[in-house]
Amino acid sequence: MDSLAAVDWTAYQDEALAAIGSALSEAELDDARVKYLGRKSALAQALRGVRDRESGMLLNGVRSKLEEAVAAREAELARLAYELAAEAGVDVTIPGTPVTRGHLHLLTQIRREIEDIFLGMGYEVWDGNEVATVWENFDALTSDPGHPSRSQFDTFYIDQNTVLRTHTSPDQIRAMQTRKPPIYMVSPGRCYRRDTPDATHSPIFLQVECLAVDRGITLADLQGTVLKFFRALFGEEREVRMRTSFFPFTEPSVEFDVTCFICGGEGCATCKHSGWIEMGGAGWVDPDVFRNVGIDPDEYQGFAFGFGIERIAMLRHGLPDLRAFWENDLRVLGQF
Amino acid sequence: MKVPVSWLREYVDFDLPIEELARRLVFTSCEVDRVVRRGAPGGDNYEYFVVGKVLEADKHPNADKLQLTKIDVGSGEPRSIVCGAWNFGAGATVAVVLPGGVMPGGEFTIEKRKLRGEVSEGMILSERELELGQDHGGIMVLSDDLTPGTPLADVLPLGDDILEIETLYNRPDLTSIYGIAREVAALLETDLRAMPGKEPVRAGDEPVTITVEDLERCPRYIGRLFRDVQLGESPAWLKARLMGAGMRPISNVVDITNYVMLALGSPLHAFDYDKLAGNRIVVRRARPGEKLETLDGTMRELDPEDLVIADAEKPIAIGGVMGGGNTEVSDDTKNVLLEAANFEPLTVLRSGERHRMRTESQTRWEKGVDAEVAGPAATYASQLLVELAGARWTGEREVRGEIPAPPVIAFRPGYTNDVLGLEVPEDEQRDRLGRLGFGVDPDWTVHTPTWRRRDVPRDIDVVEEVARFRLEHVPATLPVRQEMFGRLTHEQRLRRQVEDVLVGAGLYEAYTYSLQATDPDPNAIELPVPLSSQQRVLRTTLAIGLLGAAQHNIDMGNTDIALFEVAHVYLPPGPVPEERWRLGGIVEGDFFKAKGIVEAVFDALHIEPTFERAKLRKEFVVGATVQSGWVGTYGPLELDGLWSAFELDLAELFAEVPERILYRDVITYPPLRLDLAFVLDEGVPAGELMAAARKAAGEELRDVRFLSDYRGDPIPAGKKSVAIAVAFQSPERTLTDEDAGRLRGSIVQALAERFGAELRS
Ligand SMILES: [Zn+2]
Repeated sequence: MDSLAAVDWTAYQDEALAAIGSALSEAELDDARVKYLGRKSALAQALRGVRDRESGMLLNGVRSKLEEAVAAREAELARLAYELAAEAGVDVTIPGTPVTRGHLHLLTQIRREIEDIFLGMGYEVWDGNEVATVWENFDALTSDPGHPSRSQFDTFYIDQNTVLRTHTSPDQIRAMQTRKPPIYMVSPGRCYRRDTPDATHSPIFLQVECLAVDRGITLADLQGTVLKFFRALFGEEREVRMRTSFFPFTEPSVEFDVTCFICGGEGCATCKHSGWIEMGGAGWVDPDVFRNVGIDPDEYQGFAFGFGIERIAMLRHGLPDLRAFWENDLRVLGQF
Repeated sequence: MKVPVSWLREYVDFDLPIEELARRLVFTSCEVDRVVRRGAPGGDNYEYFVVGKVLEADKHPNADKLQLTKIDVGSGEPRSIVCGAWNFGAGATVAVVLPGGVMPGGEFTIEKRKLRGEVSEGMILSERELELGQDHGGIMVLSDDLTPGTPLADVLPLGDDILEIETLYNRPDLTSIYGIAREVAALLETDLRAMPGKEPVRAGDEPVTITVEDLERCPRYIGRLFRDVQLGESPAWLKARLMGAGMRPISNVVDITNYVMLALGSPLHAFDYDKLAGNRIVVRRARPGEKLETLDGTMRELDPEDLVIADAEKPIAIGGVMGGGNTEVSDDTKNVLLEAANFEPLTVLRSGERHRMRTESQTRWEKGVDAEVAGPAATYASQLLVELAGARWTGEREVRGEIPAPPVIAFRPGYTNDVLGLEVPEDEQRDRLGRLGFGVDPDWTVHTPTWRRRDVPRDIDVVEEVARFRLEHVPATLPVRQEMFGRLTHEQRLRRQVEDVLVGAGLYEAYTYSLQATDPDPNAIELPVPLSSQQRVLRTTLAIGLLGAAQHNIDMGNTDIALFEVAHVYLPPGPVPEERWRLGGIVEGDFFKAKGIVEAVFDALHIEPTFERAKLRKEFVVGATVQSGWVGTYGPLELDGLWSAFELDLAELFAEVPERILYRDVITYPPLRLDLAFVLDEGVPAGELMAAARKAAGEELRDVRFLSDYRGDPIPAGKKSVAIAVAFQSPERTLTDEDAGRLRGSIVQALAERFGAELRS
C-alpha cells in the first residue's frame, strides 16, 4: 500500500513523542493524542489497512509507545497541577487542624517514671491500702509508744487501732507478711498527716516506699540503689550522700541528699546555697522489724527508703505551691 | 537547740572553722540548720567597743529628754556623747561604742553626728543593744574598777556564733551543750573535758522531807535546800549565754536552773521553800478535782493520770512540764528548794498533750533523760547558787527507785562491716565507742553509757554508733541479686491503659481529696477527729471530688472541661474499709458524651458494654448502669451548663477483660452489609433491640451498629422507627444473596416475635 510506504514511521514517532512530551496542559496533550493516535490520524488509518504481519508489528509498536508516552505525560501533568496549586496557596505556618488531647496529671507522670526506673532494676510495684492498723503503721515498724507521730495531733485515727497511713512504710510490713524473700518492691500511694495545708504541706500527700530484702544487703547497696535511681530521674551527673538520721524501723537510719540539679552543686535558691537537696529518709532494715513479720534477720537483710512525689515534681518543674496539685486547674495540668 | 559556740568550747577544744564543724556534724550527729551570729560582729569591729568613764553629764541644752555627756574613753580627748538614758551620772563606768563600730545585727554602723545641735561621737550602750539582756531601764552601768579604754570584749561577752541544731528523736543526750561537746570530741577524735560542776561546801544539815509515791513515773528525786538566797539579776556572761541559747533571762535563781539544764540536759526546778505547806515535797498522781495555776498564768484542771509535785496540801507543779504560780520564786524569795529529778517520758508526754503545753523541760523529758545526770545537775546548780546568788546549802534528800541498769551487749566488730559494706578497722571502732562513753571490754563486750540506755540496747544500735561517723565513705554498690524479675501486674498495666485511653479521648487527669465533707453513703467512714469539716469522711465515690474540680475550673474561667480520676474509694463498714480502685469522670455535655467515653474504655479493654436505664442518686436526671459502674447526667447544679459523669469499679471491670484476643478472618471473604429499619413500640430500648438482633443473627454476624431513632410522620403515634446496620462475614466462603435473605429473615422474625417489630420496606 502507498500510504504505508509513503510514511516514515520513525520520523512520525519522534514527532509524536516530541508533541506529547511538550504538552503543557490536558488540552494540549489531548490535541497531540488526537493528532497522532486518534481515529483520523495517519497511524490509525495505516493500521486499518494493515495486511501483513510485519507492518502490523511495526505500527502496533509505534502505537503502544505513543500510548505509553501519553499516559506518562498525563501523570506528570497531574502532579504538576498539585505542585502549582500547593505553591500558590498553602501557608505552612498556619496551625494544623486541632486534635483534642488530654493530660496525665504531673504526679501520675512522675509516679510512672519512678515505677519504670524501679521496674528496670527488677522491682515490683506494690499497691497498698491507705487505711492501716496501728500495728502495721507503727508497732510492727518498732515505733516507740511515746513517739509524737502517734499522737492524735499528727495522725488521723479511725479508731484506737486504725489509722490513715502516715507513710507508705506499712506496705513494707504487708509485703513481708505475704511474700517470701527475696523481696524487691516499690509502693507509691496516698498518705495522710494532720498538717494544716500551706505551700509545702498537705494533709494528703503521695509517697513512694522502696524495700529490698535479700541475703547480704548492705548500706552500700542502699547508697548504690539511691544513686542509680536519682541519676535516672535527675541526670547522670548527680551524686548522692547519706547523713545520719532516725527512723524507728531502720538502724542505722540516714537521710539522703542529691546534688542540686538546678545549679549542679554550685549553690542556688533551690538548694538553699548548699549544693544539695534533701530527698528522703532511708536505712538498713531493723532486725526487729524482720522478727515482727517472721523473717529471720540472720538469714535476710534489707534496706528501705522513702520520699515524696510532690517534692520531686515541685523541684524539677519549679512549682512553688503543692496545693496546685489538688486544684486541678486545666491551665496547670495542661502544662505537663 | 541553739548552741553558743563559746559555751561549747568550754567543754571541748577544736580548731576547724565553725562552718566546717557544722558540715561534719550533719553527717554524724544532728541536723544543723545554720550558724548565726549573736551580738556585735567580731574581729576588728570589737576595737570600737570600749569601757568609758563619765566625766560630765548634763541635760542637753536643746532637748529635755536627752543628756549631754563627756566620756573618757582612755585615749585622746574626752568624747561628747548624747544619750537618752538617765540612770547614771558623772563618775559612772559605762560601755561605749565609738564611731565606726558596727552594732549587733550587722546593719547599723555608729557615726559621728549632730543631735539637736550637739555633736555626738558614739553611743553609750544598754544591755538590750548588745543583746545581753532585756533591760529597758537604761544604759549598762559597769563596775567602777574598770579602766577607761579597756576593750569591752575583755569585760562582756560581746558576741558569739550560735549553732542552730535539730536533735533527732533518739538523741535526748544531744539536748545539752555537754552532750554535743561529747559528739564533737568523738567526731574530731579529741578530748572531752570533765563535766562542769563542783560540789559547794555544805553549810548546815537541815532535814528535807521528800516522798515519792509513784517511783515508776518519777524514779529519782533530789531535793536540795538553800537558805539566804540573794535574788537578783544574773551576771552578763550568764545572760548572754541564755539569750544565745534562745532563753529569756528572768532572775539569777531561775536562770541558773535553765543554764544547768542547757549545759547538762537535765531540767531543774526551783521552788520558794517558804511557800511549801508543811515544808515538804510529795510526788504523786493528781487527785480528782485538783487544780493548779501554772507559771504561764493558766488554771489547769488536773487529771489523775497527771504526775504532780505537791506539798503537804496542794499540787505545786505538773511533773516535768511546768511549775505552779503558788510556789514560784519571786523577788522576796529567801529560801529555795532545788528539784533535780527524773521523770518517765510517757507520763510527761501525756500530761503535755492533755494540757496542750510545750516547754523546754518537757521536750527533754519526753525523749528520755538519763536519770544519772540529775546528780551532776544538782551539783552544778548548787555551785552556781552559792557563787552567783550567795546562797547557803543547808540540806538534801534523795529518793531513788528502780532505775534499769544500762545495757551490756555482746558485740562483733565484723557486724559493722556486714551492715555498712565497708571495712571499719577494729581499733577505730573501739576508739570511737570509747569517746562516745561506751565501755568496750577486750572481748568486745560493750557497756552502753547511762545517757544512751534507751537508744543503744542491741548490737545493731552499736553498729550505728560506729557507722554514722563513716557514712561519707560508704561505697555505692547494687544488691547481688538471687533472682531478678520486675514487671507491672496485669491490673496495674490495665490501669495505665485506661488512663492513656482517657487522655487520648481528651480528658485531663485530676487528683482530688479522699477525705470530703459529706458522702452519699450514710455509712461512709467518718474521722472522729477531722482536720476540718471539709475533710471529714472517707469517700465511697469519686464523683463529689470531681464535681469540685469542675467547679474550680469554671471559677478559673476554663472551658472544655473534661476530667477523670483513678483513685481509691473506701467502702464501709469500718474501721478497716474495703479499698477499691475506681475510675471516675466528669464532662461538660449530655449523657451521650459521657457514655461515649465509657464506651471507648470498654472498647480498649475488649469488653462489650451493656447499658441499662437506671435511677441513680437523686442529683441525676438521666442514668444508666453498665458493667462495674454507671453513667449519668446531672440535674441543675451550682455549676452552669449540662454535666455528665461516670464511675467504674476497676477490679470488676478488669475481671471481664478477655484473657487473650483471638484472630478473626476478616480478609479472605468479603462482608455482607444490610441496613434494616424496624417500626416498634416507643418503649423498647434500642439497646435491647440490637441485643436481640445480635442473638438472632448467629455466628456469621460481625457487627451491629445503631443508625437512627426516628419518631413522627409517617410513623404512627406511640411507635418509632429504629434503623440498624448489620454486617455478616464468613471465614469459609463468600456469603450469597441467598444467605442475606436467610439472615435478614431470622433477625426480622426474632424481632417480630420479641417486640412486635415490623420491617420497614
Ligand atoms: Zn542549687
